[in-house]
This record gives sequence, C-alpha cells and structure tokens, in this order.
Amino acid sequence: MTLMSLVQGIQDSGIAEWMRTSVKAMPVVESIHVLAAATVFGTIFIVDLRLLGVPNVRRPFTRISDEMLRLTWTAFFVALITGALMFAANANTYVENTAFRCKMVLLLLAGLNMAIFQLVTFRTVGNWNTDVRPPTAARVAGALSILVWLSVIFFARWIGFTKGYHFEAPPADVNFSF
Amino acid sequence: MSLGQGLEDSAISQAIKVAGWIIPLLQSIHIVTIGVVFVSSLMIALRVFGRMRADEPFPVVWKRFAPWMWIGLVVMVITGVFLVLGEPVREFTALSFWLKMTLLAVAVIITAIFGRTFGPAAASRAAGSAAQAAGAYAPTRDEFSPGAKAVAGGIMVIWLAIIFLGRAIAYDVEVWGSLSLHGT
Repeated sequence: MTLMSLVQGIQDSGIAEWMRTSVKAMPVVESIHVLAAATVFGTIFIVDLRLLGVPNVRRPFTRISDEMLRLTWTAFFVALITGALMFAANANTYVENTAFRCKMVLLLLAGLNMAIFQLVTFRTVGNWNTDVRPPTAARVAGALSILVWLSVIFFARWIGFTKGYHFEAPPADVNFSF
Repeated sequence: MSLGQGLEDSAISQAIKVAGWIIPLLQSIHIVTIGVVFVSSLMIALRVFGRMRADEPFPVVWKRFAPWMWIGLVVMVITGVFLVLGEPVREFTALSFWLKMTLLAVAVIITAIFGRTFGPAAASRAAGSAAQAAGAYAPTRDEFSPGAKAVAGGIMVIWLAIIFLGRAIAYDVEVWGSLSLHGT
C-alpha cells in the first residue's frame, strides 16, 4: 500500500465522513484541539522557563517537571486524537500542505530535543536540580523547546489559511504563499 | 452604515487584510497567550484545590503565576483588538464573539476579586497571626472553603467556555443555528 492510498483510505473512512458532514463536529473538535495545544504549550513553558532560570527560584527542577508533565502528556494525547480527526476529514489536502508538513517536522524536532534532554542532560539532574541557573545544555534545551513549540503553533494556524478548502474563499489580492 | 462596516473599510483594517501573514501571526500569538493565561489560571485553581504546589503558601503561588496571567491577558487583548480590526464584520456578526467578550469580563473581575481576597495583599493584612510571624507554614487540606473552591473551579469553566467560543466565531451558524447573528 503506498502512502497516498493509505491517505486516501483515511479520507474515505467513516469517521472522516462524519467529521466532514456533521455540522458541529469540526468546531467542537477544533476547540478541543486549541485548548489541548494551549495546555501543552503553557505547561511545557513553565518547565522550559525553570530550565532558563526564570523566575529566579530554587524550586527543584524535578518537582516542577513531575507536576507539569502529567498535564502536558494528557493534553498532548487529547491534541493528538483531535488532530487525527481533523487530519482524517481532509487527509489528501493536509499531506500536500506545506504548513502541515512543517508542523509535523517541528513536532519531530520537539520530540528529539526532549529525548536528547532526557537521555543526556537529565542524567546529571542531581547536580543542578536546585540551581537557579541550570547548565548550558539544559538552558539550550529549554530555549529550543520554547522556540519549536511557538513555531508549531504558528504553522498549525497557518494551515487554516492555506489548506484550500476554507468555506469562505479568501479575496484574490491576499497572498498566502510561503 | 454599521460600526462593523465602517471599521471594515478603515485603513488599518485594509492593511491587516492585505498582508496575508498578519492575521495568522496575530492568531498564533493570541493562542500562545491563551496557553499562558489558561495554564497560569489552572495552576492557581489547582493550588486552591490543594492539588498543585501544596507545599507553598497560596500567596507565593499567586505571586508566581498572577503576573504571567495579567501580562498574558494584556497581550491577548491587544492581539484580539487587531484581529477584530482585521475582520470586524466577521466578529461583530458572531454571537460567539459577544458571549466571549461578556465571559472574559466576568472571568477578569472574579479573578481580580479572588486575588484581592486570598493573594499576597490579603496575606500581609493578616500577617499578625503567630504562625505567620514564626514563618511556619502548615498546609491543610481545608485551607479554602467550599465556596472559594467553587469560585476557583468556576473561573476554569469560564475559561473553557471562552476558548470554545473563540474557535466558534469561525462557525457561528454551525454552532448557534437560528440564534446566529449572521445575516441579521
């Protein structure tokens, strides 16, 4: 099965059909997606700021990450499910969309950044857990995380303006191209 | 001519519309600040329920998150104003928009009152107590009355409604049917 036939299969599925035809499905699913994405960003932002030493407190990093990451993963899971539903509804258009592709690459980068942090920098957390200013590697991971997640949100919103099936066609003089 | 149409024809509205990247960029900043405001508010509410940072006194938690909440709100309002200027008719003819504005005002007022009642200022007013003077802090499960917890929970419900209504502006007819202001 080629990738495109898989994508076509997703778009032809019953749930995709329901997403397209149900009047309220799209606004409800989109709202939950925005809420989940905002929660993912807000909770990760708190952890990233702690890595950057902002605000200047000695609350242990592990305590903050333990508190936040349960919320982050729950919200991420919800975003994943609602995102998959939105993707299914117009799968063919999404895979061709540059903003969507950028967003997926950025999500992979966010995961990679987190994996490197967990596997390398976090191993020595005992040495800097209560430091106001964690080591450079940790601060870089925090800054990268903020940057990547901001970009994810921007490209996510950009999809809505470039996907090409918006109910109201944009005026001809608006330039949405990259 | 309606206010919406007048704004729609204004120079600033035209400028926002013609540069295609401005609205998505403003919307992205708007969503990011919703994340900051919503999660800051959530941290405060979870602290009221004793489910987050229970080892810290409430005024400390309030001081940690309230500035982010208020600054986030200001950025949110500024980007929101430009979004309205960009597409005034779309916003003014959406029932969701007006409900959202009303709930936003309610959320801000209740949060401000909550902060005045339980935040650092209230704590310093009550600083005469022996426990405070000794610097000892003993968190208790029933630190907040059921009423205070209900208010904190209520604020979160209002925020959920605000976020839903924000997205629903794009779907006024789909969400509200005959109640939608579109076409009136």
